[in-house]
Amino acid sequence: MRKMRSRTVQPARRFETVLIANRGEIAVRIQRACRELGLATVTVCSEADRDAAYGKASDMSLCIGPSSAAKSYLNQDALLLAARLSEAGAVHPGYGFLSENAAFAAAVEEAGLVFIGPEPSSIATMGDKISAKSAMMAAGVPCVPGPDKELPNDPAVIDQIAAQIGYPVIVKAAGGGGGRGMRVVPNADALQETVALTREEARKAFGSSSLYMEKFLQRPRHVEIQVLCDNHGNAVWLGHRDCSMQRRHQKVAEEAPAPGIPRQTIAPVGAACVEACRQIGYRGAGTFEFLYENGAFYFIEMNTRLQVEHPVTEMTSGFDIVQAQIKVAQGEVLEISQDEVECEGHSIECRINAEDPVSFMPSAGIITALDLPSGPGIRVDTHIHAGYKVSPHYDSLIAKLIVHGATRAEAMAKMRDVLARIRLDGISTNIPLLRALFEDDAFIRGETDIHYLEQWLKQRSAA
Amino acid sequence: MSDVDFSDPATIALLTSALEAAGVDGVEIEQPASGLRILLAKGSRPFVSGGSKPGGRAATMVIRAPMAGRFWVHHPSWPATARNYPRPVTRMDVLGFIRVGPILLPLRTAVSGRVEKCVAEHDAMVGFGDSLFEIEPHS
Repeated sequence: MRKMRSRTVQPARRFETVLIANRGEIAVRIQRACRELGLATVTVCSEADRDAAYGKASDMSLCIGPSSAAKSYLNQDALLLAARLSEAGAVHPGYGFLSENAAFAAAVEEAGLVFIGPEPSSIATMGDKISAKSAMMAAGVPCVPGPDKELPNDPAVIDQIAAQIGYPVIVKAAGGGGGRGMRVVPNADALQETVALTREEARKAFGSSSLYMEKFLQRPRHVEIQVLCDNHGNAVWLGHRDCSMQRRHQKVAEEAPAPGIPRQTIAPVGAACVEACRQIGYRGAGTFEFLYENGAFYFIEMNTRLQVEHPVTEMTSGFDIVQAQIKVAQGEVLEISQDEVECEGHSIECRINAEDPVSFMPSAGIITALDLPSGPGIRVDTHIHAGYKVSPHYDSLIAKLIVHGATRAEAMAKMRDVLARIRLDGISTNIPLLRALFEDDAFIRGETDIHYLEQWLKQRSAA
Repeated sequence: MSDVDFSDPATIALLTSALEAAGVDGVEIEQPASGLRILLAKGSRPFVSGGSKPGGRAATMVIRAPMAGRFWVHHPSWPATARNYPRPVTRMDVLGFIRVGPILLPLRTAVSGRVEKCVAEHDAMVGFGDSLFEIEPHS
C-alpha cells in the first residue's frame, strides 16, 4: 500500500487507543489498520458477539449490552461509557450503526475524544438530502434534474414542479436513504396521492415530513466516487466504483473502476467532488453516489463514512483508506496530490451473505467448515471462522471476497475461480447465486444497470 | 417519582457527569418503594446503589454485571481484606460493586443462599453480562 507522508501538525489530536464502535468484518478491518499504525484497539460487543475472535485479538474487549443492536451497538451512552472506561482516545464508527449519526459524532467530540470521521455538521448537512443537493449544486456537482428545495404543500405548485421536471418523477424523503422513503410517479394522475403517502411515511420513518422531487431515471447505473480529505484543505478522489448490481437497494457485487466510463468523462466529476469537499470543509473519507445514464452523472447522495466496498478502491489505488482515515483524524496532512493518484487494473468485490440464495431469508447458525481461497490478487475481509455462530440479530454480511486483476476480464475470471473454490458449510449463503451471476453474459460484458439483478432473479425464478 | 434504572448506561453517564461537574464528594442514593432519597455524604467516596441482575441455571444462580465498569468486591470504606467463600447471604445483601468513575453501583442478591465463589477479580474491568458470583439459593 502507498503510504501517506506522516507530518503531525495538530499534536493535540494524537491518540494511542481507538475504540471500534462496530462489529463483524469491519471491526476486523479497522483493527488491522490500527495495529499497522501501532495503535491499541478496544472492541465492544453485544452478548451475541461475546465470543468473537476479533474481540480476543484486541487490547481490550468490553461487552456493552444485550444482543439487540438498539441496546448495544446503537446505544450511544454505552459506547461512550466503554470509551471512558477503556481510556480510548478516539472512536472509529465503521459503517452502518452510528457511523452517520451527527449527534453521536458530536457526543464523541464533546466527551473529549476524536471521532474518526467528518465533522458532525458535515454529517448533518449530507444526511439531509435537500441540503446535500443544494451544497452539491453550489459546488458544481451534477445533480438529478429537480429543485434543491423542499416540496411545498400547495398541490398546484407541486403539479407545476413535476410538469417542469417531466414525468416520470420520483418523490423522496429528505431524511431518507438506502432506498427507503421514495416513490416513483409515472404521471400526473398519481402525483398528489403519492406525495401524501410518501410525506406520511417520511414523518413516521425519519421524523420529518420534508420531501423533494427529482426526475426518475429509467435505467441508470450506480457509480460512486471515493474522496479523502484532511483538515488542511487538501482533498483527492481515489477513482470510481460501479455498484449497480443491487437487490432491493442492497449492493451484491461492486467493482473498480466502473466499466466503460472513459477517464475524460469521470475526471471532471471527480474534480467537482473534491471541490465540493473543500467548500463544505469535509474531513476524512467519503463517497459521492451518482446515477449514471446516457453518459451523464447525477448526484444522489454522499455517504459520510467508510463504505463496505472500499476494498476495491484500495486494490486499484494502492491506498489504505482506513489508515488514511485514522491519520487524518490525528491531524496529519494528506500530502498525496491528485497527480499522484494512480489507479491500476480492475478489482471486484462480492458480498457473502448468510442468507438463502433463493428466498433471501437470513440464515443463522454455526459454520461447520470454512475454507477461504487465497493467492495473488485475492483478499478476504471477514470475521468468521469454522465454529463461528452467525447471529440472527445483525446484518447478514459475513465476508467480502475481493480480487484484483490486470483487466476486468482477468478479475472476473479470478472471482469465478474464488467462488468455485470457497467452502462454507453449516449455513446457507448467497455463494450459489454469485456463482451463477458471474456466468451471466450481460454482467460479463459490463452492461448492467441498477435494475438488472432484480430482473435477472425474476427470470431465474420463472424458468 | 418514576423508577430509575441504575443499570442503564445513560443514567450512569448522566449521574457521573453531574457529580463530577458539581464537585460532589459523595452521594448515597436509596430507592425505597415510596421514592428516591438522596443523602449528601461529604468526605466519603460517592456511590450510587441499585439492583443486581441474577441469571443462570436453576440450581446455581450467576450474578452478572449489569453494565460495563470496574468490579469491586468490597466497598472502598470496608477493610480491604479478601472475602471468604462460600459464605451465607440473605436477599438484598450487597455482594460487590461496579464502579464507573465516581459511582459505585451495588450488586445485590435477589435470593438468600450461599455465595459459592466470586468469579471475577477485584478491580477487573468487566462488561455487560460478565459472571461475577455464583450463588446456591436456599431451597
